[in-house]
Amino acid sequence: MRSLRAFLVRLCNAFGTTSDAELSEELESHLQLHIDDNLRAGMTPRQARREALMKLGGVEQAKEAYRDRRGLPWLETTWQDLRYTARTLSMRPGFVIAAVLTAALGIGATTAVFSVVDRVLFRSLPYPEADRIVSFGVKAPFEGLEFMLAPEYAVLQAQQNPFESMTSLAPGGTDCDITEQNPVRLNCAVVESTFLSTFTIHPVIGRDFVEEDGRPGAPQVALISYGLWRSRFGRDPKVVGRELSVNAKPLEIIGVLPANFEMPNLAKVDMLFPQVLDQASLDRNNPRILLRAIARLKPGVTVPEAIAQLQPWFRDSLRFVPAPFRAEVSLRVRSLRDRQTGDSRVGAWVLLGAVIAVLLLACVNVANLLLVRAASRRRELAVRAALGASRARLIRQALTESLLLAIAGGVAGWGLAYLLLRVFLAIAPEGMVRLEQASLDFRVLLFCSGASLLAGVLFGVVTALNKPTAEWLVGRSSNTPRRGWLRQGLVAAQIAFSLILLAGAGMLLRTLWNLQNVPTGLDAQNVVAAQISLAEHRYPNTTKQLAFFQELETKLGRLPGGGVLALSDTLPPSGGMQATFFASIEVPGRPRPSQGTGGMVGWRMVTPNYFQALGIPIVQGRGFTEADRAPSEQPVILSESLASRLFPGEEPCGKTIRFTAFDRQGPWRTVVGVARNVKNTGLIAEADPEFYIPWKDDLETYIGRGFVIFRSALTEASIVSWTRSQIAEIDPTVPVEFSSMSTRVEKLAARPRFNAVLLSTFAAMGVVLAALGIYGVVSFYVSQRTKEIGVRMALGASTAGISRMVLISMATSTVIGAILGLAGTWFGARLMESLLFGVPPHEHRLLLAVLAVLLLVVLLAAWVPARRASKVDPMVALRYE
Amino acid sequence: MGDKADVWQGTLALMVLKTLEAMGPLHGYGIARRIEQTSGDLLSVNYGTLYPALLKLEQEGHIDSEWGVSDNNRKAKFYKLTRAGKKQLDRETRDWRQTQEILAKFLGAREQTS
Repeated sequence: MRSLRAFLVRLCNAFGTTSDAELSEELESHLQLHIDDNLRAGMTPRQARREALMKLGGVEQAKEAYRDRRGLPWLETTWQDLRYTARTLSMRPGFVIAAVLTAALGIGATTAVFSVVDRVLFRSLPYPEADRIVSFGVKAPFEGLEFMLAPEYAVLQAQQNPFESMTSLAPGGTDCDITEQNPVRLNCAVVESTFLSTFTIHPVIGRDFVEEDGRPGAPQVALISYGLWRSRFGRDPKVVGRELSVNAKPLEIIGVLPANFEMPNLAKVDMLFPQVLDQASLDRNNPRILLRAIARLKPGVTVPEAIAQLQPWFRDSLRFVPAPFRAEVSLRVRSLRDRQTGDSRVGAWVLLGAVIAVLLLACVNVANLLLVRAASRRRELAVRAALGASRARLIRQALTESLLLAIAGGVAGWGLAYLLLRVFLAIAPEGMVRLEQASLDFRVLLFCSGASLLAGVLFGVVTALNKPTAEWLVGRSSNTPRRGWLRQGLVAAQIAFSLILLAGAGMLLRTLWNLQNVPTGLDAQNVVAAQISLAEHRYPNTTKQLAFFQELETKLGRLPGGGVLALSDTLPPSGGMQATFFASIEVPGRPRPSQGTGGMVGWRMVTPNYFQALGIPIVQGRGFTEADRAPSEQPVILSESLASRLFPGEEPCGKTIRFTAFDRQGPWRTVVGVARNVKNTGLIAEADPEFYIPWKDDLETYIGRGFVIFRSALTEASIVSWTRSQIAEIDPTVPVEFSSMSTRVEKLAARPRFNAVLLSTFAAMGVVLAALGIYGVVSFYVSQRTKEIGVRMALGASTAGISRMVLISMATSTVIGAILGLAGTWFGARLMESLLFGVPPHEHRLLLAVLAVLLLVVLLAAWVPARRASKVDPMVALRYE
Repeated sequence: MGDKADVWQGTLALMVLKTLEAMGPLHGYGIARRIEQTSGDLLSVNYGTLYPALLKLEQEGHIDSEWGVSDNNRKAKFYKLTRAGKKQLDRETRDWRQTQEILAKFLGAREQTS
């Protein structure tokens, strides 16, 4: 207690303004009292004073000891160091700005990028023991993600399996509408009753689904999301047991999901329904229902073990796959995170790698700056040492300076990270997994600040560690600066890192350029498309759906200003069209292949104007006509690739084919024309062969979604508003989504563009940092050798010769850096392979260009100080100290 | 601060407290003289140590200081014992006695065995 009190008093004194005056006064009175005593003892005044002074001893030492006791000496020294640092730094604003900005760039960029990729790469999913949760199923050519057929799933559930618990959900969400007061459209999902328990999630109120909820004929129940509970029911706890009319049918709310609940497929969800499977859907010979299966592995079971344990079941279920297709079906078990992030991972790793390179570059630069600074301060250090500063004190001073810079860099970096993250979020394409959840991460900020701090401290203290020698006092460091190899190494590292960054950015830009010049096969100019989806409860059957589209076509056909209007069920160039196996297409008089599916063939239903509206040329035969829409007509138009595959070397027009869709044998169709190939599975993938059939008014298939396509000289805005009003006249509840065709095409390149923009930014940062670093090193080299240069010039060296000498000093490190950089690029290119398109793995021209750019930067950065050196006046240089 | 200074300071603090208890309020010079006299001039108080020691005692709240006038009309800073200081003195005296006893026993025992 007492010592705490003393500490506080001293702390106050340390910051207070207590002067030495009081002590002086006290010592003075002490002296006087002593003299009085001595006088009383019979000494002469002079003797008395002398004796008293001798007894008192060194007044200054007494004061010193007293001062130390009064305040907190270490605090005062620190304060002194800080003030001194601030003073010396403010004399070198250029140095400070360079160091702080460099550190801020590294810290800011790394923190922002890490905050984005953390969720993709590292953060665990919001479920307890999420690493045991896997997605499993079979992988087949017609479906990108693993899936399960309902009967096979039921068989596995009933037998021995590697899972503690398994569950399933219907693929994709379904639209559903609350059909009572305040109608609203929701996102709903259908899940098995074991869904929440597999994830170990409990409803916040109410109960979980039970097996009975999934029995056919059970009363309709639903779990609602926390968001819906809040927005529609105002967090009313009595919501459990409430009846709600959804899709015009009553159901009972049995519980509320937790606020942080998220679907394994990351879909937005407002309401969960239990899955109802009747006996018919569990018939192994006639599977009709497709499921996404999720399971929790038993503790200690790994994914490969699970795959091994699933083999007997998988072999058994293969019996129900048509023999020709078996070879193309495989079993897949993978962690849920892998399923969620999929191809985002590579991109995330590349961004992280790039930004770490930037961080390293920044650290190298900070180190470089401090090293140069330290070397130029040797004389000052020597002076301070000569005046009595201890080595510890000198090191402390250097540390204070590094820390001050690192803190300033950290603060600036934090601001930059905040800005960058906003920018990322603004320019990020759709489908970047979990981007909306990204938030600045303090751990990363600390880590990055730590890294730059370490670099600063390490290099800032290096010089102080050396015992200042008397030689430094002279300030002549005419001999080669020590630790020259260290600086050269730093330059090599900078060149290597920026080469890797530049090459990576170059490859991504090349990819982007290639993507944007991919011929899509259609003319996207002046085309606007509207996507229309009909709610199932309002349009329960095909008749009603077709009636809607019929009316729509008539109404929209009166587009003011003219133009071309077409309808189709799907739209290129993104995927999502209907598809069948190539092997399922029959040609009369030709045996069907006995092996394999032959890959996928897509097909669309289109109105006759489709080809004209999208600018797809008909290369052979004719397009569809209105007459083709009559019930009796069964024409088909093939894409070039399908035509050449079905009828190699033959005239396809007039031939007949038949294909199977929805398990039903279609009618025989006559080929009337061949259309130019169109990209239909994204920009990168090879286009699938496809065919077109006319959009008829007597179809039996469900057609709840469709596209309206306009080719018109009108502006997009006027088309949108006019179409909206026309559709609202038919049915105001139908949601319509507009986008211009060029936007749709652009969107496909959005992810590569995002990657390219980010990486290019980092590469630019890297090159600037490297240039600054090289400039700094060469400048230092020149200033260290000013005298030597003077001598050389006095002896007759030409200015060109001097420039050459300076440039050559950088040659070794440049070559080493370039070699390391090329090696790094080689590894980087392999990592990035899946992000590239149309870029050969060892793109020599690109690498040469990058090398050339970098060499140019190096030359420029070195040339400025080299030129300055060659302009030196020999007389000045010789006197230079 | 090294250990030696602490020991010395500790002892000095005890002497200061005892002096103030015996003499009442007193100035630094007086304290020093009194300690020297009591020790029979065996001790010489270094003022470089005395004043920091007084400051430490004051910071810890064991003594209080006030400017006043001495017997021979000199302005001087007078120190006086606080209640906390009195307690501290009692405690330190006890501790010191104990230490002394232990040391005495220890030294005595050594003499007997040797």
